[in-house]
Amino acid sequence: MTTAMTCTRLTLFTVAGIFIQIIGLSIFVFGFFPVKPTLSGVSGSESYRDPFCDPSSNLNESELHHPEKLRLLYQELSGISSKYDRLILMVIDGLPAEFVLGKDGQPPWKVWKESMPYTQSLLANGDAIGYHAKAAPPTVTMPRLKAMVSGAIGGFLDVAFNFNTQALLDDNLLGQFFRIGWKMVMLGDETWLKLFPGLFMRHDGVSSFFVKDTVQVDRNVSRHLPNELNSDDWNLLILHYLGLDHVGHTGGRNSPLMAGKLKEMDDIVRTMHLKAMMDRSHDQGQTLLIVVSDHGMTENGNHGGSSYEETDSLMLFIGLSSNISDYTAATNNVAFQVDLAPTLALLFGVPIPKNNVGVLVPGTLNSLRDYEQLRALELNSWQLLRLMQAQMPSSLFEGFSCNCFVDGTCEGLSLDISECSGDKEKQLICLFRNAAVLHGIWKSKKLTESSSAMEDFSRALNAYNTFLKTASEWLASKTTEKPVLLLGVGVSAMLLSCFVYVTLFLSLFKEFYHEPKDRVCNLSYRLKLEEVFIFALLLILVISMGSSSMVEEEHYIWHFMVSTLHLLLLFKTAKSFNFSKGMNYKIGSIFSLLICGRLLRGWHQGGVNWTYLPDISKWLEQAGSGYIKWIQLISNFLVIFLGLFPLFRTGSKKKSVRILAFGFSTCGFLVLLHAGIYQDDMFEVSNEYGATVTVKVIYLLLSTCAIGAAVVLPWFMLNKEKSFLAEAGDCLYLIGSEYILCWCLLQLLLQQPINSGAILLLLIQILAISCLSSNGLQVNEWVEIAALYYMGMTGHFALGNSNTLATIDVAGAFIGISSHSTILSGILMFMITYASPLLFLLCLVMYIGAKLRNHSHSTISTHRETSLGQILKLKLGFPCLVPLCINSILLTAYTVVLLLMRNHLFVWSVFSPKYLYVCATTLCTYIGVCIVAITVTYTFFVTTFLRSNRTTRHNIS
Amino acid sequence: MRKLSIFYYVFFFRGNEREEKGKVMKEVKKKEKLETSIGDSRSALGALTVYLITGLFLVVGFWVVGNKYSVDLISDPSLTLRLLWSIEFPIVVIIYSLFRRNPEECSYFRAVGRSIIGLISGALINALGAVSLSAPIGMQSLPKTIHWSFLMSVFTFVPATAVFGASWTDWHRVFASLKPTGNIEYMIVIPAYGAIIGGWFGAWPMPLDWERPWQTMSDDVADGYWLTGSELGHSLT
Repeated sequence: MTTAMTCTRLTLFTVAGIFIQIIGLSIFVFGFFPVKPTLSGVSGSESYRDPFCDPSSNLNESELHHPEKLRLLYQELSGISSKYDRLILMVIDGLPAEFVLGKDGQPPWKVWKESMPYTQSLLANGDAIGYHAKAAPPTVTMPRLKAMVSGAIGGFLDVAFNFNTQALLDDNLLGQFFRIGWKMVMLGDETWLKLFPGLFMRHDGVSSFFVKDTVQVDRNVSRHLPNELNSDDWNLLILHYLGLDHVGHTGGRNSPLMAGKLKEMDDIVRTMHLKAMMDRSHDQGQTLLIVVSDHGMTENGNHGGSSYEETDSLMLFIGLSSNISDYTAATNNVAFQVDLAPTLALLFGVPIPKNNVGVLVPGTLNSLRDYEQLRALELNSWQLLRLMQAQMPSSLFEGFSCNCFVDGTCEGLSLDISECSGDKEKQLICLFRNAAVLHGIWKSKKLTESSSAMEDFSRALNAYNTFLKTASEWLASKTTEKPVLLLGVGVSAMLLSCFVYVTLFLSLFKEFYHEPKDRVCNLSYRLKLEEVFIFALLLILVISMGSSSMVEEEHYIWHFMVSTLHLLLLFKTAKSFNFSKGMNYKIGSIFSLLICGRLLRGWHQGGVNWTYLPDISKWLEQAGSGYIKWIQLISNFLVIFLGLFPLFRTGSKKKSVRILAFGFSTCGFLVLLHAGIYQDDMFEVSNEYGATVTVKVIYLLLSTCAIGAAVVLPWFMLNKEKSFLAEAGDCLYLIGSEYILCWCLLQLLLQQPINSGAILLLLIQILAISCLSSNGLQVNEWVEIAALYYMGMTGHFALGNSNTLATIDVAGAFIGISSHSTILSGILMFMITYASPLLFLLCLVMYIGAKLRNHSHSTISTHRETSLGQILKLKLGFPCLVPLCINSILLTAYTVVLLLMRNHLFVWSVFSPKYLYVCATTLCTYIGVCIVAITVTYTFFVTTFLRSNRTTRHNIS
Repeated sequence: MRKLSIFYYVFFFRGNEREEKGKVMKEVKKKEKLETSIGDSRSALGALTVYLITGLFLVVGFWVVGNKYSVDLISDPSLTLRLLWSIEFPIVVIIYSLFRRNPEECSYFRAVGRSIIGLISGALINALGAVSLSAPIGMQSLPKTIHWSFLMSVFTFVPATAVFGASWTDWHRVFASLKPTGNIEYMIVIPAYGAIIGGWFGAWPMPLDWERPWQTMSDDVADGYWLTGSELGHSLT
């Protein structure tokens, strides 16, 4: 008994493994996806003072809540005259700068150039100046908007929350503008509204949900334009055009629609330039028009990664009145996307946002006077220095004191210019000191009207620019560097837990298949073909994870492998086929597995690169919504019928079963009702009151049925004729089938209508495999469980999921939720996304029940003398360990892959989203295994309790 | 990944060759015993000759396709496949019908006749297998799938039907239990499994380098690669 593992030890080890894995995973995630270091709070008037001065000095800002007063204060403190009073920010989603400015000093392609005649003429006349603004990956809209208005580079986890846009709480430009009393208008992508709720005086948001729509999204924005340009009540007008991005997504860069779209954008630029800027008389102040794009696009129109095509976004200033006459000088400039924030802040006289890492765009200040330019650079430097102070040891800043450069009183610091060398941090401080000293020199010389002022000015300017550039790079790299220690600890913890699982599995495996213990456990056990295949599949999956395109098109490999597994099963069955009865069931089940698998494969053309190929769902959608309605109706009826079938097949005519059946029929009817009445539009989830109430009733009924049945059923399944195991088996079978039905009904409610057919096919697959295993498939238990796990993953992709975050069904996550709740809709989203893996994990309960019943039919009560713990270990060991084991191997392997690929081009667009999916799969496995383990243990305990009660009562009487 | 799959090819076919050599060696040892037990059994040399002839005609088929019609598997898979199987089929039928079971009860023409039935039913089964492994079944790619399954049927089912007819026990023993006896049965089993496993590796999903026209993923890989693989499989065995 020393080698054999007891139930308690097995449970303890498994739970320990889970905990180690969770800890390792969270350490790794926090190490790999950096959380940017931030300063809290909002920049105020203190940002116009030397960072070494006491922040709580003279002015009392609480008196300055009046916006106009604050604006005047800022203007006075900054010392930079602001000649603009209005700003138009036109965001063209996904426009690569190459389309407007060309690449590598070459003008843009003829098609593009000719599509934008007005913009090109502006560039040629020197009225506009354009920059290739390098965007930081991930090149997805929300993080890029955040970067533009706050100047900070966010982490990858921002993308993960892209579908759940939340208000931007960090210090940002729009907040600063709001504080000085600007009136703002926003037209276009509603991401802005989610980021800045309540900031806009007028707004009209459009959703970017329909990627196919390239016309209406933009028309919706432009229709307000004449009114807005005529009215004089706003200071900031934001226009966010989504159409070009949609054109890219549907047809790539060379889409035939692209030229027309560019022409449309050019017309809008012309309208705005003529109306808003030229027509206004000079006493009203000037308007600045900025055309920016949030990111570029690849050749086939995608974005999210870090290739040049995707990060090459545009920043075009129109009306800066900087003296540029040369077309090349106007187009051949490079900047960073984050540079927009400090530039706008300084141009419009507000404090630079606190966490900004950008620097002033050179060339935008040319119209200012000398001292204003230097002052602007000084302000930017102070802001960056404040951010650096938060990340450097304070000992480096010794010797600096308030205004010491102006007074020349810095302790221990010579006021000479020195060559800066040494480590990066010291070098940065040295550069700052040089700039500050040169600025001081220039100031003092200016008072004395020295002749060498011009030379001093350019020296100070250069010194500031050098410092800003270096500091900005240093700060940006700080946000992306990865702590090696955390990653190492995380990976090793995951490896450890993986090792624990594999060891547990092997020891259980040995015990299970070498039943007579006196025989020496040797490794002469010959693996059968399908067992080899299960291992091979795991290996193939791990290998295929190393290639980005295999990750993108992962569904192919899953389907191919699972179909092969089915074919192997067919081969095995055919091997023992003789024309006697009972075999036909098996052949039939395998064929239905194959057919359903093939249909599921064709249901959604998943993946990333081949989504345009025809599939069943597209075909049905084209055929009209009537067909989808029919499919929904039929699958709903069939699901209820097939789900209730095992309930009645168990032959128990008990009241409890009838009540259950009635409950489920009611649920099914309600789901049908909801589908019929409220889900009229394909994508729109109606927000009617009735629909919400119906859905809530369904939620309530389903959860009551599921939990109630699992709790109550074991108490009522007493059957005197049957053995202990058969009784527990019956009970588990019932509970399991009821779990499955429950889950399927929930999915019919939540999933898109088109997926109801896929749910039905998955249910048929489950029933087929349970029919197979109860008819004696001659396959080891663990192989069947592994096959179930694999089929669950295949179904995951068949439901239209992929390894990009774009396929998550956000619309479904708000069904039946009346008020916005992140947690509730997150749970719903998880349920929708992991419908299939959880369904197959839940089906393990039914599987265990069926096994028990079968087992007890053939050999009646052989386990009479064995303890409860032993039975639990034998029956529950594999169903819990196999999924955990497979999942931990995949998770650990993928973590290593992600580490190896950290410098890959697609790390943000392909590998990181996939990693989030892998993490969510881990969570899903934990949940499923937990439910299975708890249900089975509970049932066994109740049955034992009842049995012992009955025997004692029997003995007494 | 592409390299990997090439590696698989090499590994598999090397393995298969070795296995075959081993079997041939064994057969040579068993030769005398076999010749006494089965009257019409041919020697290992004979088996090799048969392989060489079928392989030769496969090469001839490719030559005809390439030079007379100037198409290949990538430019016009369905025509190529049709030509290939229609060239290969008569040869296979003619040769394997010579080795039919019970020649005194079953005439040569009957063997030819039943192999035609075998061709059609085998094509059906192969098509089912291909479709279940996600071969496309749209109207455009249906001819490709059909012709591919005919070709596969020529390699897998036709020899067996020509030799065994509809004898379930023989089929079961040779294909399911993998217990062939005698050279003829080895001659049937090895190319059949070679073609099937080669086809399986050929159908390996390879979503790589999709910029290149010859690798348009889901349409042609399922056919083109599969077929190349299966043919390589066949010709190498």
